[in-house]
Amino acid sequence: MQNLLDIRHLKTYFSVRGGVLKAVDDVSFTIEPGQTLGLVGESGCGKSVAASTIMGLVPMPPGFVAGGEIVFQGVDLLQLPESKMRKIRGSKISMIFQEPMTSLNPVFTVGDQVAEVIRLHEKLSRAEIRNRVIESFRLVGIPAPESRVKDYPHQMSGGMRQRVMIAMALACSPKLMIADEPTTALDVTIQAQILELMNQLKSETGASILFITHDLGVIAEMAQKVVVMYAGKVMEAAEVTELFGNPKHPYTIGLMSSIPVLGTGKKQKRLSTIAGVVPSLFNLPKGCLFHERCTVAGKECSRVEPPMTDLGNGHIVCCHQLAGC
Amino acid sequence: MDEQAGSATSFWARIRNPEDRHPFFDQIEKLFKNKTGLAGLIIIAVFSAAAVFAPLISPHDPVENALYDQLKPPVWDEGGAAKNLLGTDDLGRDILSRLIYGARVSLTLGVVSVGLALTLGSLLGAIAGYYKGWLDNLIMRFMDIILAFPHILLAIVIVAYLGPGLTNAMMAIGIINIPRFARIVRASVMDEFGKDYVTAAKAVGATDRRVIFNAILPNCLAPMIVQASLGFGAAILDAAGLSFLGLGAQPPIPEWGAMIAEGRAMILRAWWVMTFPGIAILLGVLGFNLLGDGLRDALDPRLRD
Repeated sequence: MQNLLDIRHLKTYFSVRGGVLKAVDDVSFTIEPGQTLGLVGESGCGKSVAASTIMGLVPMPPGFVAGGEIVFQGVDLLQLPESKMRKIRGSKISMIFQEPMTSLNPVFTVGDQVAEVIRLHEKLSRAEIRNRVIESFRLVGIPAPESRVKDYPHQMSGGMRQRVMIAMALACSPKLMIADEPTTALDVTIQAQILELMNQLKSETGASILFITHDLGVIAEMAQKVVVMYAGKVMEAAEVTELFGNPKHPYTIGLMSSIPVLGTGKKQKRLSTIAGVVPSLFNLPKGCLFHERCTVAGKECSRVEPPMTDLGNGHIVCCHQLAGC
Repeated sequence: MDEQAGSATSFWARIRNPEDRHPFFDQIEKLFKNKTGLAGLIIIAVFSAAAVFAPLISPHDPVENALYDQLKPPVWDEGGAAKNLLGTDDLGRDILSRLIYGARVSLTLGVVSVGLALTLGSLLGAIAGYYKGWLDNLIMRFMDIILAFPHILLAIVIVAYLGPGLTNAMMAIGIINIPRFARIVRASVMDEFGKDYVTAAKAVGATDRRVIFNAILPNCLAPMIVQASLGFGAAILDAAGLSFLGLGAQPPIPEWGAMIAEGRAMILRAWWVMTFPGIAILLGVLGFNLLGDGLRDALDPRLRD
């Protein structure tokens, strides 16, 4: 199948005082139409920067793309002029943000803000836009959409605001939705509702989703394919069942075992953690970026950068110690 | 249009319900509760009413000479008559009528010069704050140059270049007030710039222009309104100063500063000719400053209890 999005060796760096930060370093992955790809990693591992790069929203300077391609529907987005890119943003690729509290403009009604997206990309009459807005509110499950469109963001709850954000992202039927930790700021019940809504909308509209999170549980529920990032690099990528059933990279294994298990008696044990902290991007270790925290690291891990190993069936691992796993 | 009646009732219902209403109404309520702010508002309301209804309420024509009524004192003074409540000037013109028409001149002048300063200032400030870098440096250093001149001196230079007259005085006062607005707008734009809704606006494909004017600037309105209100007072004062120097309003326009200038030769003989316009300027400037302070208290989130 033709890939909707094909990211090849993407490098997004930031030049700051004291050197160059490699926020995204040689990252490749693909998304097929209708697929959800989960991008997992700790805070600061470059997953949000990767998303911003796809949208062309990395502030430049200090950011710059040092190399790679972002091929969307056969076109390299990095080569497009800003005016063409603007037409893609919001209509073909849209974005859902982490904080529904702050990502809506406080001085406009939510209806106006969704209408603005449609107005930017399609030539419709005011009545048609109004109908589209109400229709999109209904689609994302906002009750009484006719009166809710007149609400200001502060009059809505966090879950409702995130629904508005999703309505905004869906307003022009995008091919790809980038969801940057869309449920992190919400409590668990609302989180479940929003995830279910996104899954349902995806199957209805056939859009692909790039789902960014640090929550493996959410990934298991949402994604078909998972990419695990660490300090700007891809550590492991696989189909979701493969990754959860047969994780290969020590980092992935560490993440999995850091998920608390509910239960008492025999099932109850001390929660395992990954020792150490994420290395500073200013001072990355030589060799494998993870070796300082790795439990199975060998001699070559601290000297040689591990190669990408393809285990077949799309399962890719970046590690020296595969034999040991 | 089909549901106007319905939306009208819900509008009032929303205002009455503190949970549901727009924060704007909280701020209005806060302004009304602030005694000095309310005092400023009342002064300005009275002056505005005088300006709007000048032909209806002024007892005489402001420019009509009455040679038999020269330098009549105010009504409570010896020799005063009810015909000229605040007396007359050396040409027999009714001071009260001139003051009432003067409110027109002063308010128009305030609107025009503050409007000019606000428009250009926020435009420049928004561009500087949004694009940063060399453009910011260029614009703000230029603003610094304007600020480096003594206020009234620069106005005098501009009027001297453009030629004396009320319109040119308005222009000059507008220009010297541009940095006030540019600075304040730049600071608020920079403050808003990092917020998520700005990124969100870019992410839906809005142009820079749209991001600045449709997304960011409406969020910077509070400091702009406060500054505009304070700027009004300053503009009236500056205009009075220019007119006093003979560079602003030309006779027979009843401008308060010009009236003071005309009356200053007679200060010992006829104190009322320049005292009343002076009080009018004082009250007008005071009104706008009190309103500005009241608005700042009502709009500044840091001062909210």
